[in-house]
Amino acid sequence: MNEAALLVNFLIVGGLLFVTGMVGFLVRRNLIVMFLSAEMMLQGVSVSLIAWGRFHQDLGGQMLALFIIAIAAAEAGIALALILMLYLRSQTLDVAFWHDLREEGQPPYVDQGIPETHREEHKWPRLTPSGVRPEVDQEEQMHRSRV
Amino acid sequence: MSEWRDQLLQMLPGSSLLVWAVVLGGLGLWFRVALLDRPTALFSRILGLLSLVLLGFWLPRFGGWAEQVTFWLLASVAVLTAGTAISTRSPVYMAIWFALSLLATSGLFLFQNAQFIGFATITVYAGAIVVTFLFVLMLAQPEGDAPYDRVSWAWFSAPLALLAGGVLLAAMLLTFSPDGPGRPDASLGPVVPPSALATDQHHVARLGGELYSRHLIAVEVVGTVLLVAMVGAVAIVIQGKSAYVPGRQDGSRIRGRRDAPSASSGGAP
Repeated sequence: MNEAALLVNFLIVGGLLFVTGMVGFLVRRNLIVMFLSAEMMLQGVSVSLIAWGRFHQDLGGQMLALFIIAIAAAEAGIALALILMLYLRSQTLDVAFWHDLREEGQPPYVDQGIPETHREEHKWPRLTPSGVRPEVDQEEQMHRSRV
Repeated sequence: MSEWRDQLLQMLPGSSLLVWAVVLGGLGLWFRVALLDRPTALFSRILGLLSLVLLGFWLPRFGGWAEQVTFWLLASVAVLTAGTAISTRSPVYMAIWFALSLLATSGLFLFQNAQFIGFATITVYAGAIVVTFLFVLMLAQPEGDAPYDRVSWAWFSAPLALLAGGVLLAAMLLTFSPDGPGRPDASLGPVVPPSALATDQHHVARLGGELYSRHLIAVEVVGTVLLVAMVGAVAIVIQGKSAYVPGRQDGSRIRGRRDAPSASSGGAP
């Protein structure tokens, strides 16, 4: 196995994961999605570290990836507590709510128009109707016991 | 295989396949991320797949067919699910796609003979962190489908983010490409003598030995960091709860919480 080529392959996968997480962090507005994007960036770094560790026949890369996992767990705990507290105060997970913290004199951020949700995405599975609809006896409906 | 690659290189104008791959992938991601509400899913998926195929042609080969196919499968699953994760609107689906991406990534770790890291990734990330995020999501946004998931920032945010990402990626790829200035060579050399790490039978035992000999202080520090994070999370929740006055802003949206403080404040010991 060509180790240098293997290293390049894994570095590219790690870079792609990192860049994807970065774009997600910069573009999305849901707090939880932003934090998961940050975790995705950490994953990209871990892939690169492990590839370098294998290339140099050294366990240091795996050590650093292990510590990244531990720090990510600590980060996730604190981030979740913060997100819950922010949600209790603002009733929304939207990070744009906190543009109250902007500097004095800066214009507030205003959405340019939120697209409507598509109705067809809330389609639930339905059974196809079969047979004929039975006659409904009004008298029986009224006097049917509620059990 | 290599003659296809040469033909493709001749067919496409421009400096290399790499630029085309990065540009196409960026366009595909832009169609998904910036226009979260537009029905351009198929188009962007085609662009993303095309970009990955071009990147696959550009990447240097490292081994036999079985290894190559395994790597391509795992890598494309990891990258494609990551792209899908940041471009789905529902945060629940985002977490699930991200967990899938984590599974593929841990497959890549196993591919590199990093067994412990691979399984720790599955257990800690996909098992604990993502599921905890899902719990918080259930607490905070049970109705799903929020308006801020359907819209991004102002119009220039997504192109700028993608441009920054593309520049970062292209710089790194050109640096580490086989004819780039930072191409990997073994001149740095192994820190410890090479002892056939790739075919090591007692890999996890060696990892543990290394962890508790060379990195013992780091282990202690990380344990302290975890403890501090735990205390900090509890402190944040306690402090935040006492500072939060229900009903001040829109407290009525929290069901059953408006009448709770009056009962607890009266009967506080």
